Amino acid sequence: MIEETLVLFQNIRNPSYDKSLKGYKKVGGFKALKKALKMKPEELVEVVKASGLRGRGGAGFPTGLKWSFMAKNTGKPSYLICNADESEPGTCKDRELMLKDPHHFLEGMMIGCYAINCKHGYIYVRGEYFPSIKSLNEAIDELYAAGLLGENALGKGKRLDLTVHTGAGAYICGEESALLDSLEGKRGHPRVKPPFPAVSGFNACPTTVNNVETLTCLPFIVNEGAEAFKDFGPENNAGTHLVSLSGHVEKPGVYEVRMDVTLKQIIYDLGGGIRGGKALKGVIPGGASSPVLTAKEIDVEYSFDALGKAGTMMGSAAVMVFDEDTDVVKLLHRITRFFNHESCGQCTPCREGTHWARLIVQDFLKGNGNERKMKRLHRVGGNMMGTTVCALGDAAAMPITSFVTKFPEEFEKYYTQAAA
Amino acid sequence: MPSFELDGKTVEFEPGEKILSAAMRAGIQIPHYCYHPGMSVVATCRMCMVDVIDMGNGRPAPKLQTSCSMDAVEGMKVETMNEKVKDAKELVMEYLLINHPLDCPICDQSGECVLQDYSFEFGSGKSEMEYSKRVYGWRDIGTFVALERNRCIHCTRCDRFTREITGTNEFGMFNRGHELTVDTYSDRPMTNQFQGNMADICPVGAITEKEFRFKRRVWKLKKTPSICVGCSTGCNVTIEYDKNEVFRLKPRDNPDVNKWWMCDQGRLTYKDLNIRENRVAHPLGKTAEGFQEISWENAFSAIQEKISELQPTSNEVIGLVDTHASNEELYLFKKLLKEGFDSDQLFFPDVEWEQPVSDFFINSLITSDKNPNRAGARMLGLKGAKSSEEVTSKIPTGTKVLLVFGKPFEDENLLSQAGNISLVINIAAWQSGWSETADVTLPGRLHSEKDATYTNKAGRVQRVNTAIRAFHKTRPDWMVLCGLMELLDVDNKADSAEAVFQELSENEKGFQGLQWESIGSDGINAAQFDEDPGRNEVSELSKTA
Repeated sequence: MIEETLVLFQNIRNPSYDKSLKGYKKVGGFKALKKALKMKPEELVEVVKASGLRGRGGAGFPTGLKWSFMAKNTGKPSYLICNADESEPGTCKDRELMLKDPHHFLEGMMIGCYAINCKHGYIYVRGEYFPSIKSLNEAIDELYAAGLLGENALGKGKRLDLTVHTGAGAYICGEESALLDSLEGKRGHPRVKPPFPAVSGFNACPTTVNNVETLTCLPFIVNEGAEAFKDFGPENNAGTHLVSLSGHVEKPGVYEVRMDVTLKQIIYDLGGGIRGGKALKGVIPGGASSPVLTAKEIDVEYSFDALGKAGTMMGSAAVMVFDEDTDVVKLLHRITRFFNHESCGQCTPCREGTHWARLIVQDFLKGNGNERKMKRLHRVGGNMMGTTVCALGDAAAMPITSFVTKFPEEFEKYYTQAAA
Repeated sequence: MPSFELDGKTVEFEPGEKILSAAMRAGIQIPHYCYHPGMSVVATCRMCMVDVIDMGNGRPAPKLQTSCSMDAVEGMKVETMNEKVKDAKELVMEYLLINHPLDCPICDQSGECVLQDYSFEFGSGKSEMEYSKRVYGWRDIGTFVALERNRCIHCTRCDRFTREITGTNEFGMFNRGHELTVDTYSDRPMTNQFQGNMADICPVGAITEKEFRFKRRVWKLKKTPSICVGCSTGCNVTIEYDKNEVFRLKPRDNPDVNKWWMCDQGRLTYKDLNIRENRVAHPLGKTAEGFQEISWENAFSAIQEKISELQPTSNEVIGLVDTHASNEELYLFKKLLKEGFDSDQLFFPDVEWEQPVSDFFINSLITSDKNPNRAGARMLGLKGAKSSEEVTSKIPTGTKVLLVFGKPFEDENLLSQAGNISLVINIAAWQSGWSETADVTLPGRLHSEKDATYTNKAGRVQRVNTAIRAFHKTRPDWMVLCGLMELLDVDNKADSAEAVFQELSENEKGFQGLQWESIGSDGINAAQFDEDPGRNEVSELSKTA
């Protein structure tokens, strides 16, 4: 039986916690920022590098390394943008952090701003998250009133402003360069890389985009040191992380776990097993865009590297569990519909492929499937892989190819039944 | 210059240049849709994929790269035709065509459509798409271009054009994903003055010129390089014509003049080239019964007779020329007056004009100076006159001969004063007040009907070439002037526009050292050019212009 490891959720799991500034200070809030301000920004970057913190948004890129790529001495301002456009289906961890413990996250954001010399940070929040937006804005107002933000936020004469910007409901605006376009007031279309945001990002200035959870890890790392953070996981997969567990489990929710627990433990120990004692059919381990795992494959360590080795990915750590009664073709249809709707449409393979794939899956549902169409579905999906500007093409392709290869009998059932 | 290897060939590049543009400069075509050298790189059509087998450091790129967005690196090895790339192109073609209506037989782009070309070259020729195609509603986006959205392949060139080139932002992308489409904002029609360029840059038939729609299949059109004479910018164009009728003007890429663009006004000047009314089709002589068609011999002998009767002295001969005349014509006219009559009283309309200055290059193309060759007249040292009143005051009483080229200073007072002059000769392609006043009118030709050179506002000498046949009784203007010179016993050896230009470049300081050949199709800067004192920079072309 495993249990949660509380680092990010230490306040949220405390029933008597008061999320106001006063309450946060009572549990030791803003100590980390004070400590960070005593360091040089370069030292801070080194500490984060040493902690092995990897981005929690989906790609798992080392955060310290990302910061160190920021172009220096450009004469332009640097920007830290927090990507709170949590829109990967199944993911709901950032919402919890922003809603229930906003100061914890904001402290992390401020530490991040200090580390990369940012004077104005933006928090790009998913537009549908009204309560989180309200909570964040209230927290920011409190910080301004307390003088923690504004004129002397990062030491005497060092100004820091934070602005909450709400998205308008596009999945693609969670892609960092599309997010920057959207923040600039343009259509959210992913940009061609290079140049990477660290060189030319928001308003063509050096920019780092970090996830909410990533930034929320910072107070702990500064307070307790890089080694303490590393201890929470296996080599190269440092820290605890939040898992959004959903689907056919007894106790869905957001859980904080170490990186050395297995997917099976998360589902059966924390999630309480499959709903109604049914058998497991499969798990989507990292948000809708990750390749699916069958029931036999879930005894895998839930970390970036182990899942990568298992041919899938951790992504935004949204575990979606489906039981034996689930119609996999319908599930895939729902996923393809999502990507068809959310593709920005600029790249040919993704614009045309997501729609075509949806039509083929729809054909199966109508009973018009056949073996040729299954091959075609695999081909249409696979052809989106790696052929687009951003990762949405890959994200749309991976579930298609993995569902077709891992559950072929489900597709066959559709057309053999129709024939009979 | 650093270089990289493209399909085994060495290609040089400038630091920071992309693979695609370096290859294009070297004359190697890599297929592409969304890339346009004048606009930002979006790398979205995915057609220009290449296989970088060595990134210059001995390692291959992990996957196919879009050559429009990838920096060329010293020692890089790139393959554009291997199996991997071919498969990728076939795939892109398949994806582009699944929703394309394939209505080539009724599409105006057919024949110059990149989608058509590439699907022959790179497509598989078959499609597995078995569902109904995407259909967008029909939209009217204004008077100059027609939008047929079903044909669109979403390269976003048009969107980028109004954002980056004209800065007018009236056109953009709407919706998302599979429903992505182009349209104008808030149902408004397009208003910018450069819409024709959107039809040019559209790789398919989604945006076509309304002027040209359904008039001719493009493969029937013959093409002759020329320039636009609509204003003093002298945008490089191609005259496209069939059966002696001009159907359209298309801008020709010239980085020193108009880049890839031209204005819609200029495009519409193609209509003038087809007008048959109002043209002077044959020599005309004024007789008691009115104007009569006469032969060239009769015209010349009548002129000779009259001149020997009048015996004009040097200050009794005046020349007027409009600046639609080419450099050669201006030069010959000047020589005719100087050596034939010992007169230097040659006037051209020299007015102040407005040059728009803007952050957007394209706005500088339209000047308020609608004379294609004023700079040439200034460089040849002709006398400028600000207005017809000024000219009227400069014509002394007792003037015996007035030579008028084209239709300069058309003004009632001046025309009626000219009526008192014993001999008025008009050399013109168009009928005007002058041809009605003149005793003898000699027909000239339009720039589409002759070889000539013009000097644009920045002192760039550019050539036009004979595209269509003129009325068979007209002669090229240089020939007409040479004929007059013969009458007056002026020494003249030139027997072609080229020979006139060579003489001109030998004798005139501004044109020194220029060769007819070296002007080529792109033009060449004059040896000496002083900024026009009549040039007024304005932030935007004023409404009165």
